[in-house]
Amino acid sequence: MSANPQAPGAGAPPEPTGWEPELEELRFRREQSAALGGPEAIQRHHDQGRLTIRERIEGLVDPGSFQEVGRLTGKGAYDGGKLAGVVPAPYVMGLSTIGGRPVAVGGEDFTIRGGTSWSGDRKKGGQGGFVEDLAHEYRIPLVNLIDGAGGSVTSITRRGHSVFPGVHGFEQSVRLMGEVPVVCAVMGTAAGGPAGRAILAHWSVMVKGTSQVFAAGPPVVERSLGQKIHKEDLGGAALAADLAGTIDQVAKDEQECFELIRRYLSYMPQNVWELPPVVRTGDPVDRCEDGLLDIVPRNRRRPYDMRKVVRWIADRDSVFELQPSFGKAVITSLARMNGRVVGIIANNPMVYGGAIDVKGARKQTHFVELCDCFHIPIIFLVDVPGFMVGRDAEAAATLREGMRSVYVSLQATVPMYTVVIRKCYGMAGMGATDKNGLDLKIAWPSAEWGSLPIEGGVAAAFRKEIAAAPDPRAREAEIEASLRADASPFKTAEAFGVEEIIDPRETRPYLCRFIDAAAGRLATTVGPKPKFGVRP
Amino acid sequence: MIDVESVVTGSVWKIEASVGQKLEPGDVIMILESMKMEIPVIAEDGGVLRELRVTEGVPVAEGQVVAVVEE
Repeated sequence: MSANPQAPGAGAPPEPTGWEPELEELRFRREQSAALGGPEAIQRHHDQGRLTIRERIEGLVDPGSFQEVGRLTGKGAYDGGKLAGVVPAPYVMGLSTIGGRPVAVGGEDFTIRGGTSWSGDRKKGGQGGFVEDLAHEYRIPLVNLIDGAGGSVTSITRRGHSVFPGVHGFEQSVRLMGEVPVVCAVMGTAAGGPAGRAILAHWSVMVKGTSQVFAAGPPVVERSLGQKIHKEDLGGAALAADLAGTIDQVAKDEQECFELIRRYLSYMPQNVWELPPVVRTGDPVDRCEDGLLDIVPRNRRRPYDMRKVVRWIADRDSVFELQPSFGKAVITSLARMNGRVVGIIANNPMVYGGAIDVKGARKQTHFVELCDCFHIPIIFLVDVPGFMVGRDAEAAATLREGMRSVYVSLQATVPMYTVVIRKCYGMAGMGATDKNGLDLKIAWPSAEWGSLPIEGGVAAAFRKEIAAAPDPRAREAEIEASLRADASPFKTAEAFGVEEIIDPRETRPYLCRFIDAAAGRLATTVGPKPKFGVRP
Repeated sequence: MIDVESVVTGSVWKIEASVGQKLEPGDVIMILESMKMEIPVIAEDGGVLRELRVTEGVPVAEGQVVAVVEE
């Protein structure tokens, strides 16, 4: 009898007839993957008030919908050829559903080496990873749950050379911005590449107190500038979202962060080849809020609560304000009108009388592009005296940023509806009209417009006449009063320079009628929007 | 103590509340003038007005603390 190690014999395990050993190994490998960085690392993570990547995905997506991809990735440890354990790759991702619709979702596992990059044959996440390919190929939204430290100089030792910045992959992240909704949530401290990726999103969110975002963290800042600064002061929500607008929204905790992501995506189509979902709320189209009638004070110097106007016009409970803490002179909200998604841009008379400052302009530019990209009609609720004036405003390049917002409005091709509530002046006012479309402008009786507000313009245009008068101030007031009479909105309506003046309570039914009617036309223009020219 | 900041650059037009006064949420502390508009400075959560850092007529900058309220 020849010696055959494969042959069954006394004392040797029986030859398996099925695939039980392999299934056993698969089970073991999956257990290793589920264990992330191990109980101690997970405890440390939890102690900081942060969830693990698996808990985050579970908390975000529809229950039980997560189909992981790449569960076996990692680095196996072998004992004489036998698998002893696997340190999982520090990135978890796959296919899920949110609100019943497929999404690609992924995020770094901070419990393994702080979520730093991992060298496999193919990247799982980050720029150009599988999760981005999934979003691109299947044309489904992408949600990045960012909690990684990014590159480290230690990779030089590992590779034996220094990596040239921007290896292939970032172009995929950029391509996605014109194809599918991309949401980035900063769930920890993000610097460098992961921080950059957080910005490559249509909408981003961070968690108050536990997440920070910056180009470089405190050690690099101290080394470069000698500035000693805590990471929360350098890139916490107060700076990154409220002051700088680097990140769009702030959640009070991770749970609220997931709710905000779900809410945001509920307004978005799956991709630019589709229209956003219509969700009827049962709110009657002909609901006319009495509050609209007297919300604008007769005293032109008195501001009012524009957010109320937005809420009263849109479908009940449908308003989702974006960037609420940044660029407060402009209020940007996603909402529904008779179930159809709209973007509402409203000037805020409480801040600089609604004058568009550099932050407000930047916010409006992004919002118009967002709506145009995803075929969301735009409603302008206009009360804008113009761009912000003064030395600080000029030094901040308000004119340039303001014209950029006008430029994107004049390039956009979604239907736009202009509702002039009070002031509509100058180029900022022009940016609130639909020059590529029907250019339907309706106005409330409180409306006024022109190339600049009368009170500012009189002093400049009638300077000599005013100076020569015996009582210059009285003469100025006289000229103002006579011009104001001719500036009545009804006179412009006579000339069809504005298409309609309505009772403010009729705003909702009037707009719903036209937004419903434009649905068919919107369906004829789906697809990516080519952009030509150079933004100013 | 809560620092109440001006959200705008402008000037103080009228001071409406006095130090020591109890303020309900939403009460107006002062009215600023900016871009020919009257911009109210509000005690969002209410409290007791402990300090007024400005007087009528003075210019204010965006983000400047104009009053201090004790919760």
